[in-house]
Amino acid sequence: MELAYSEERRRAEAVSEDDRTLALAARDGDMVAFETLVVRKTPAVVSVARRIVGDTEDARDVAQMVFLRVYKELRRYDERYSLNTWLYRIATNLAIDFLRSARSRAKAHGATLHLVLQRQEGTSAQTTRAAEEEELLRLLRKASEAMTGKQKAAFVLREMEDRDTKEIAEILGCGESTVRNHLFNARRVLRRELERSHPGLVRRGEKA
Amino acid sequence: MSASCALVRDRFADYAKERLRASERGELREHLASCRACASLAAAFDPTLLFAVARPEEVSAEEIAGILSAVRTGIALENAERRLERAPRTRRVGAAAAAAAAAAFTLLLPGASRRVEPPAEVSASKKPQAAGPQDSLPVALPSESGTFPAKATIYDWSPGAGQDGPRVVWIVDRSLDI
Repeated sequence: MELAYSEERRRAEAVSEDDRTLALAARDGDMVAFETLVVRKTPAVVSVARRIVGDTEDARDVAQMVFLRVYKELRRYDERYSLNTWLYRIATNLAIDFLRSARSRAKAHGATLHLVLQRQEGTSAQTTRAAEEEELLRLLRKASEAMTGKQKAAFVLREMEDRDTKEIAEILGCGESTVRNHLFNARRVLRRELERSHPGLVRRGEKA
Repeated sequence: MSASCALVRDRFADYAKERLRASERGELREHLASCRACASLAAAFDPTLLFAVARPEEVSAEEIAGILSAVRTGIALENAERRLERAPRTRRVGAAAAAAAAAAFTLLLPGASRRVEPPAEVSASKKPQAAGPQDSLPVALPSESGTFPAKATIYDWSPGAGQDGPRVVWIVDRSLDI
């Protein structure tokens, strides 16, 4: 009974602790701290994984692998660095690995721009946003088949996660100039693929 | 067309070439998220600008609970494997077969936690380290047929009361030695 009470109290405390405090406690074996981090960081990890691998179920698998990896490598966590950057780094690397293996069993996906270009028109903002996000993912999944994993990861982190290039360099373990190259090449590939698959896009834009 | 529309439309090229300051970039993204005419023009100028308005994804509490549950189970398995690795070599060889046996015996049972007393011939070891706050003590199931190996350890992990998720039971037969 006493143990149950203590754990409940610890859980309540952990919720209000910052990332760094939780990470250090988890590193020392505090499972409540670790689980609090899992709950807090799952949305960000699932988001980046989903945008790189392009599928919700696969993204959940990647997220599980990410947190298991975090648990195993907590001893190596260097508190001088941002926990978010470290997490993004693990998530991005595992998602790229997943993408590489997934490409060998590539699936065909259709994509249209209908919902993306009709944003703001729906009455149910939340439903429309979810549908738009799904549409963007389908577009990206199809158009990014010619990109390398790092190019796609750089693009997702920059455009969809809105991270700055310095942080992306830390996440991908390369220099900022390399990130800029990845972004340049990713945009070039994406632009070419989108213009080829959706030639009506320019005309639609001119009418607006 | 408002003044901000004109300003934003002048910045499409610089945005795509990463030439904007962080604040200018933020303003452009915010504007595109709320102005359909500019978003459409941006996509016409450069289709990659379709992605300039992506927002953070929402992940449901159910999804988070499912991932947490899977992570707990993964950690419990990791810890069980780690303990087996620390065993002497002869037992490690047996452990490979035991792991296969464990996989074969692994049961996914829906429902609440159930705890039973170990029968005399089965040893129950210590709690797997860091297996989560819920019921995760290794326990033994009643041996109805009397066929449990003499040196089996049975781990029984269940989600806590009121929580969804599968119940996982795995049995490690330490008597195997191949």
